Amino acid sequence: MATKKLLFVARSLPYKTEASRLALTHAISSQSVEIYLKDGDLVEGTIAFIGDGVLNCLKNQQAMKHYGITSIEGHMKNTLLLDMKVMVCKEDLDRFGIKEDALLMDAEDIGGETNAQIVPYSEIQKEMESVDHLLFC
Amino acid sequence: MTISFSANTTEEDSKMADLKSQTPTQTLDVLGRVCPYPLVLTKKALEKLPSGGILKILCDAPASAEDSLPRFAQDKGFPIEVVKLEDSWEIFIQKP
Repeated sequence: MATKKLLFVARSLPYKTEASRLALTHAISSQSVEIYLKDGDLVEGTIAFIGDGVLNCLKNQQAMKHYGITSIEGHMKNTLLLDMKVMVCKEDLDRFGIKEDALLMDAEDIGGETNAQIVPYSEIQKEMESVDHLLFC
Repeated sequence: MTISFSANTTEEDSKMADLKSQTPTQTLDVLGRVCPYPLVLTKKALEKLPSGGILKILCDAPASAEDSLPRFAQDKGFPIEVVKLEDSWEIFIQKP
């Protein structure tokens, strides 16, 4: 039995690009691949938001109103519902002047028990060094 | 149409065969959601389900209903019953 660790690093703005949406959906999909693996093998997915990517974590996004598309928020909540580790870069939040109360930090309303973590970039760097596969989106 | 899968024994087969006639412990509605959501949300719901509980899943994603959910249940040894309706499926999984 082996566990493969994946880290998806979202660096893109939430809209007018599919990059961060793909990061989220691929991270969520990684939690379903065990059905194609050998007995007992698992995939552990983590997603980290850095640079412009931290803007994906804002709550009360108005994507449908402004762009006519579904919000990133639903995907964000599903990563937390699935107990995935979600890391948000503190330095980049500070650069944008974004406080924690403006962020989607939990998914309690849909039964999630895990919270997103605001962490210094050094912790994200450590995570990058510890995983088996690293994907920048 | 009903498709059933089970681990091995006849006793399990007989228990599994009447999953749909039992009152489900929980119903998970994933209608309108596509792969991989039906599977990952089912996994999460099963984690919280008590042992012996039956999860009824309402699903209209063919790949999930006909492939990933039965494959998951088979891999785990969970009894499963898949009932095809006109445009969707009712899937019953029992947590051992």
